[in-house]
Amino acid sequence: MNPRTIVPPLPPTTAAAHRREAAARRARRRFTPARIGLYVFLLGAALFFLLPLYVMIVTSLKSMDEIRQGGIFALPHALTVEPWRLAWSGVCTGAACAGVRTGFWNSVAITVPSTILPILLGAVNGYALSFWRPRGANVLFGILMAGAFVPVQVMIYPLVRVLALAGIFGSLPAIVLVHLVFGMPVMTLLFRNYYCNVPHELFQAARIDGGGFWRIFAQVMLPMSLPVIVVAAIMQVTGVWNDYILGLVFAGRDNMPMMVQLNNVINTTTGTRQYNVNMAATILTALVPLALYFFSGRWFVRGIAAGAVKG
Amino acid sequence: MATRSLTRATPYAALLPMAVVAVLGYLGAGLWTFYLSLTASRTFPSAHVIGLAQYHRLFDNERWMLSLHNLAAYGALFVLASLVIGALLAVFIDQNVTGEGVLRTVFLYPYAMSFVATGLVWQWLLSPGDGIDSAIRALGFDGFRFDWIVSQDHVIYTVVIATVWQASGLVMALMLAGLRGVDPEIWKAARLDGIPAWRVYAQIVLPMLWPTVATVLLLLGTAVAKLYDAVVAMTQGGPGIASEVPAKFIMDHLFLRSNVGLASAGAVVLLVPVLALLAPYAYARSRKEAA
Amino acid sequence: MVGTRRWLLGVCLCAWAAAHAGPRAEVIHWWTSGGESAAVKQVEQAYRAAGGTWVDTAIAGGDQARAVTINRIIGGNPPTAAQFNTSKQFLDIIEEDMLNPVDDIARRDHWDAVLPAPIVDVIKVRGHWYAVPINIHMQTWIWYSTSAFAKAGIAREPASMDELFADLDKLKSAGLIPLAHGGQAWQEILLFSMVLSNLGGRDLYLKVIRDRDQAAIHSEAFRKVLVAFKRLQGYVDPAAPGRNWNDATALVIGGKAGMQIMGDWAKGEFIAAGQTPGRQFGCLPGLGKDSPYLIQGDVFVFPKTDDAATLRAQKLLADVVERPAVQLAFNKLKGSIPVRLDADDSQFDACARKGMAILRDPRRPVGVAEVYLTPDQNGALQDLLTAFWNTNMPVERAQNSIASALRY
Repeated sequence: MNPRTIVPPLPPTTAAAHRREAAARRARRRFTPARIGLYVFLLGAALFFLLPLYVMIVTSLKSMDEIRQGGIFALPHALTVEPWRLAWSGVCTGAACAGVRTGFWNSVAITVPSTILPILLGAVNGYALSFWRPRGANVLFGILMAGAFVPVQVMIYPLVRVLALAGIFGSLPAIVLVHLVFGMPVMTLLFRNYYCNVPHELFQAARIDGGGFWRIFAQVMLPMSLPVIVVAAIMQVTGVWNDYILGLVFAGRDNMPMMVQLNNVINTTTGTRQYNVNMAATILTALVPLALYFFSGRWFVRGIAAGAVKG
Repeated sequence: MATRSLTRATPYAALLPMAVVAVLGYLGAGLWTFYLSLTASRTFPSAHVIGLAQYHRLFDNERWMLSLHNLAAYGALFVLASLVIGALLAVFIDQNVTGEGVLRTVFLYPYAMSFVATGLVWQWLLSPGDGIDSAIRALGFDGFRFDWIVSQDHVIYTVVIATVWQASGLVMALMLAGLRGVDPEIWKAARLDGIPAWRVYAQIVLPMLWPTVATVLLLLGTAVAKLYDAVVAMTQGGPGIASEVPAKFIMDHLFLRSNVGLASAGAVVLLVPVLALLAPYAYARSRKEAA
Repeated sequence: MVGTRRWLLGVCLCAWAAAHAGPRAEVIHWWTSGGESAAVKQVEQAYRAAGGTWVDTAIAGGDQARAVTINRIIGGNPPTAAQFNTSKQFLDIIEEDMLNPVDDIARRDHWDAVLPAPIVDVIKVRGHWYAVPINIHMQTWIWYSTSAFAKAGIAREPASMDELFADLDKLKSAGLIPLAHGGQAWQEILLFSMVLSNLGGRDLYLKVIRDRDQAAIHSEAFRKVLVAFKRLQGYVDPAAPGRNWNDATALVIGGKAGMQIMGDWAKGEFIAAGQTPGRQFGCLPGLGKDSPYLIQGDVFVFPKTDDAATLRAQKLLADVVERPAVQLAFNKLKGSIPVRLDADDSQFDACARKGMAILRDPRRPVGVAEVYLTPDQNGALQDLLTAFWNTNMPVERAQNSIASALRY
C-alpha cells in the first residue's frame, strides 16, 4: 500500500488554499491499482444511485402515450418539456391549476425558522449535556431519544389539542413549533455526540479563563461546530422541506407547503395519473435541498475543526 | 457569590426548552397514547375504558404480527447495509478524489427526493416484466429472474433496497463530517510511521468515530421504526399483507379505519423494544460517566 | 372637500359591500387531478353565481383529506364543508354531534323522492339529513378492449359468470393477458364485490355485506363465490401485485389485456388516450340484464357551527350542489353520473347513459361494501380477501375468518 495515498495534514487556511493544495496533490498522484479500484467502486455506486433519477428524467420528457406503451429505460421518441412547464405552473392541485410553485414561498417561510431554531436549541442542548451535565439532563435526553422512535402521526392528536388551547392552531407559529418539537431529538443527538469528541481540556481551559456558559458557547464551541452544523442543516432542511403530514395538519390553509401541492399532483384516488408531470414536479420540489447539498461542499473541508482544537 | 450561583443555574435555564418538549411533548403524548390504548376510541378519542382488550385484539391480528416480523427482518438488513455502504462511501470519498462535490451530491440526492415519487420509480424498476428484470434479460442473461417484489416472502427485501438507496447518502455525509473532524496530526504521525492507509482507517480512525457511528445507528433506528412512506409508495403493504410494517398498521387504523384505540395500542407496543434497547445503553453510559 | 366626501362615500360603499358579501365557504375536498379539478370548478362557479365566495382547500387522497377535516374539527377551526364518501365514515362525527343537518333543504327539494334509496339510507341518520350527495360512481364495470376481443374470437359480451370464464380462457389462448388487475387491497375487494354481486346475486350480496348474516356467510353459495373469486387469479399476469389501477387500464387501452374490472373512473383514462366507447373499448355494467349495480358516491358534510354567516354559506352550498344543472356540469367532467334520478342524460356518453338508466330501476342499485360496513369491518374484510387472493388459504378457512371478522 502506498503511503502517499494517505492525505497529508492541512494547515487551517482558506478554502482557496486548500483547493490549490489538492490540485498540486492530484498532479503528484500515480495511478495505482488501489486508486483505480477506488474510482471503479465510486463510479459503480454512482450508477446505482443515479438509476432512479435517470428513469425519472426520461419519464418526465415523454408524452403519456409513450409512457403507457412501457419501457421505462427507453429514451423518449418525441421529447417534450411540456410536463415541466405544467408541473411548475399549470397542473391542477385542486380547483386551482397553477402548478407546484404556489407553495414555494410558503415552504421557504416554514423552513427557515424551522431550521434555525432547532439547530440553535440542539446546539445549546448538546453543549449543556456534554460539558455541564446538569442533574437529570440525561433522563430528559433519554426521553427525547425514545420519543424520536415514535411515528409522528401518533402525536398529532395531543398536539392539535394543545395548539388549539393556545389559540394558534393552523398558523405559521404552530407549524414552526411542531417542527421544533420533532426536530429537537435528532438535533440534540447530533451536537451532543459531536461535542463528545471535543477534548474536555479545551472546555476546562476556557472556564479557567473566566468564561461563563454563554460566552464559552458563543466564542469557543459554535465556531468549531461548522461541520456538524452543516450536517444538521442538511437533515433539518430536508426533513422540513419534504414534510407533508405535519404541514398539512398544522400550517393552516394559507401556509400550505410545496409538498402538499406535490402530493395533490401525484396522489389521486380516481383521477387519471400523469406520470410525466409527477416526475417533473418531484424533481422541481427537490431542487432546494439539492442546492443546499451541492453548495455546502466548502464546509466539508478538512482542518477547520481540527485546527481550532489544538489552539 | 451571585455570579457562581448564576453560573450554576444557567445550564438548567438553557435546558428549559428541552425539558418542556421532553416532558410535556413526548412524555405527555406517550402517557396519553397509553391511556387511549386502554379505551374504545374510534374516530375520536373517547373516555370509555375497556382495559387491555385492544392489546388482545392486536396480538390476535395476523397483519400486526406479520408487521412486527417484517420490521425485525427489515431493520437488521437496513441498518447493516446503510452503515456499511455509507461508511465505505465516506472513506473512499475522503481520499481526495476528483469531482468530490459532484459525487457527494450524487450520493445525497436520493435523500432530497420525496419518496412518494421515487417509491413508484422503484416499483417500476423492480417490477417483473418491465424494469431491471427484463433489462438484464435483454442484455442476454436469459435465465435471470428478479421478481422479489411480487413474492410474499421476498417483498420486504425490495423495500430494503429502495430505503438503503435513500439513506446511505446521509450516513456517508455524517461519517464524512466525522472523518473530516479527525485531528490531522494523526495522519501526519501515521504517515511518518509508514502505516498503510487502510490500517490507519480500520484500526485508528474508525474506532475514533464511535460517537458518529452511535449517532448514525440511532438515526437509522428511528428510520426503521417510522418506516411508512416507502412501503406505501412501493408495495402498499402487499402483495396481500406481506410487506406490512407497524407504522403503516398504526397509521391505517388511526385515520383510515377510524380505530384510534387499536392504533394507540400498536404505538405502545412498538415503543417497548425501543425502550428495551435504549435502557441498557443509557444505563451503561451513566455508569461510564460516573466512573 | 369634494374629494374627502367622495372618498368617504367609497369607504361606506366598500363597507356595505363587505357586510353584504356572499357567504364564504371553505371546502375541503380531494379532487386534484385534471378532470376532477375541472369538475369541481363547475361547482365553484355555480356557487359564485349564486352569490357566494368559494375558498378551495384541496388535499389529495381521501384518507388525508378526511384526517385533516377531523383534526380541524378537533382543533376548533373546521372548514365550512368537507368531502366524504357515501359510507359510515362520518357516522362517528354525527354521534359526537359535530355536524349540522340540512333538513330544510332536503325537505324543500324532496330528496326522499329524487335520490336513490341506498344513498338516502346513508345520508339520512335518525331522521335527519347530514350530507349532500353530488355524484354516483359505479364500482364494478367490466371494461374490455374490442381489438383484444376480436383477436380472441369473442363475438358477444359475456352475460353470465360461466361465459365470463369462457371468454377469459379464449383470451388466454390468444396469448393476451385475460384480466388486467392491479394487486392492491382495494382492487381485490372490488373484484370480490363483482363476483359476489354477479354470481351470488343481490340477495346474497345484501345478506353478507349489509346484514352480516352468519348463516349466509357459511352457506354453500358463498363458498362458490369465494372459489370463483380465487379462480380469477389464474387469469391475472404475474406482475400485477402493487400495480396502480391506471397502469392496469393502460394494458387494456393498448390491447395487451382483454378486460379490466374497475369503477367508472377508468373511463377517464380511455378518453384521455383518445378512445371512444363502443369503438376501441366497451363497457359492461354487469353480467346479465338484472345484475346488481354497485354504487358509491361523494357527499359534502357540514361541520357544526353556530356562526350565522357560516350557516348561510352551508345552506347555500347544499342548495347549489343539488341543482340539476350543477349536477350535470360536475358529473360530465368527473366521469361519474348525477345522483338525482330525474337528471337529463342526453349530454352523457354511452357508458354513462347505461348507468343512469340502471340507476332509475329500483331493483338494481346496491351500495358498495363501505356503504354498509364500518371502516373497521370493511378493513378487516379487505385484509382477509387480499390474504386469500395472495396466499394458498383454503376456502373453508377464508369463509370462517370472514364470518368472525364480520360478526361484530
